[in-house]
Amino acid sequence: MKDSLVATTDSKANRLLQIEGLPILAVLLALVVAFMVAAPEVFLGYRIYMSFLATVPPLLVLAVALTLVIAAGEIDLSFPSVIALSGWVLAYCIHELGSPWLGLILALTSGALVGYVNGILIARVGIPSIIATLATQFLWGGLTTVFSQGLSYSLGDVDQLFLWRLLVGRIGPFPVQALWALAVAVALWLVLNRRRFGEHLLFIGDNAKVAEVVGVNVVREKIRMFVLMGVMAAFASVLLTLENKNFFNTQGGGYLLEVMAAVFIGGTSVFGGKASVAGSVVGSFLIGMVEAGLVATGLQGFWVRAVVGIVFLGAVVGHLVIEEPERGRALLRLIGAKVKLGRSTHT
Amino acid sequence: MKALALTIATIGVATFAVSLTALADEPLGSGITMYFQMGGNPGDGSTLPRTNGARAAAAAYGVKLIEQYSGWQPETMLKHFKEALAASPGCIEIMGHPGNDAFAALVADAEKRGIVVTSGNSPLTKLKDQYTANGFGYAGVDLYEGGKLTAQKMIEYGGLKKGDKALEYGLRAQAERGRSDQGLYDTLKAAGLEVDYIEISPEVDHDSSLAVPILTAYIQKHPDLKAIGTQHGNVTAFIGKALQDAGKKPGEVIVGGIDLSPATIEGLKKGYISVTLDQQLYLQGFLPVTQCVLSKKYGFAGLSTNTGAGVVTPKTIGALTPLIDKGIR
Repeated sequence: MKDSLVATTDSKANRLLQIEGLPILAVLLALVVAFMVAAPEVFLGYRIYMSFLATVPPLLVLAVALTLVIAAGEIDLSFPSVIALSGWVLAYCIHELGSPWLGLILALTSGALVGYVNGILIARVGIPSIIATLATQFLWGGLTTVFSQGLSYSLGDVDQLFLWRLLVGRIGPFPVQALWALAVAVALWLVLNRRRFGEHLLFIGDNAKVAEVVGVNVVREKIRMFVLMGVMAAFASVLLTLENKNFFNTQGGGYLLEVMAAVFIGGTSVFGGKASVAGSVVGSFLIGMVEAGLVATGLQGFWVRAVVGIVFLGAVVGHLVIEEPERGRALLRLIGAKVKLGRSTHT
Repeated sequence: MKALALTIATIGVATFAVSLTALADEPLGSGITMYFQMGGNPGDGSTLPRTNGARAAAAAYGVKLIEQYSGWQPETMLKHFKEALAASPGCIEIMGHPGNDAFAALVADAEKRGIVVTSGNSPLTKLKDQYTANGFGYAGVDLYEGGKLTAQKMIEYGGLKKGDKALEYGLRAQAERGRSDQGLYDTLKAAGLEVDYIEISPEVDHDSSLAVPILTAYIQKHPDLKAIGTQHGNVTAFIGKALQDAGKKPGEVIVGGIDLSPATIEGLKKGYISVTLDQQLYLQGFLPVTQCVLSKKYGFAGLSTNTGAGVVTPKTIGALTPLIDKGIR
């Protein structure tokens, strides 16, 4: 009787762990609770969350889009330059031409163009994605500087535009871009998990040759995937530029490692074939809030970055322990912890 | 026949005269190639006016200018110097960030080969003392003094007093560049303020919009905060936004920063930024090219110019805006 009760409890726990993104969400919630305890004056108020909801969306949009690319066993390193290029296109149209809607369309088109070029280089020409997108990162970043003549633009009165209110305005204190980011995440989750295109990407990531043999048009699907990544990077750039009310010539430069960290912390496999959009969403918030959280606890000076590293490592280990107890146990055995997990306690 | 000979002779004399005139009109720096370390990334707010200044001077003197951008990475500056040496140019301008010791052997090699080396933005005092006679000059702010001046103006402008809470958000981990942050920090401390310090991460260093939630969290954690200081140009641009997100009104927290990006100007106009150190970056581009030409051509010794003599406040920003829009100020 006791054994059957334990088995039932275990099976319920396993079912819970099967829910996409739940283990990393548990880690995030634990972190938020820790911040609430350590810095209640900040984390029990609403303002810090509104700040996160205003600043995390570009990171989130990039992370969920990159999740699809990594699911297919590829990588895109050019998106920081798309943030600069599309941001310039938007800012130029607003600042010089007074046409925000044209700016939006051309910004998204520029992202699609970058993605299409990446797709052709990778899927048709056969250049490895890490090399092709590294090269296009330099190319588009450099061209942005040429186009902008190195100038940054202040978009001072942009908040008077309907486009601004539509994309990054506020409903009370709530930043609208958080809703857009959520919509993008839901759409891309559906694409990955409910559409043939997503199925094909996972198949390609698992084994591209087998995918081709069974009739998947690998070249076409990869090009579509990079175009989607380019458009999403451009959309992230639009959100960032409008939220900042400024175009910075170097914008996007700090996002590369943060976005990749958000994707991998979220549980997407670096080898392709396995991906979690929900995990990337949670990973984005984790990455986007950890440094601010630590600063709010009173951590200062040169220690902040080191502790950020420790928290990341803790998040990865915590995720591993919750999602894959066997590997978690092995890790804990390795570091000599006498902690018993799961079934090992039922001897 | 005689007429033909006369015509040829006339043409010859005229050609010679034109050649002489052309020689006399030849720009002073004609034939000189100069490698120039610009500092950050092409076009960023802390680099563009320097680039424009150097380009303007190069065009005026007829110097062939080779621009090098390091993203403020000291190791890249050293690499660029080695690349410049390999090309044997007439002059090289270096940034002081890697420090005297790191540059010593490289500069010695350049000097031995007759290349004029000069410095900008961050001083290399030891090397300058050693090679001044050969044209080793400095165009830039005395970093520590620049930070000190910013802090003094923050205190003066905001009426800061002993016991007031302040935050310094800087790059003190970078030996040379961090000296301006150190100057700001020391001056606030010396005035009796209670100063916290947070180091800027590399991600924020590259894309300063990432500083917003960090600063927002800090500001909320410390409701008694009276002042924020930084010597990072792009971070300066985002402090106003963090203050807004944290629910602060313009002037409620005194902000001292550096440089004049469009966003910083906006912050000054709205009153979120109280003072910003004007390094006059254009001069940091123009003067080293002038130094190069004068030293290479006529053997003049190195000149030292402190380009950061003052701060800009909400009251003084108006007149500078058109020049800032052109990337000159």
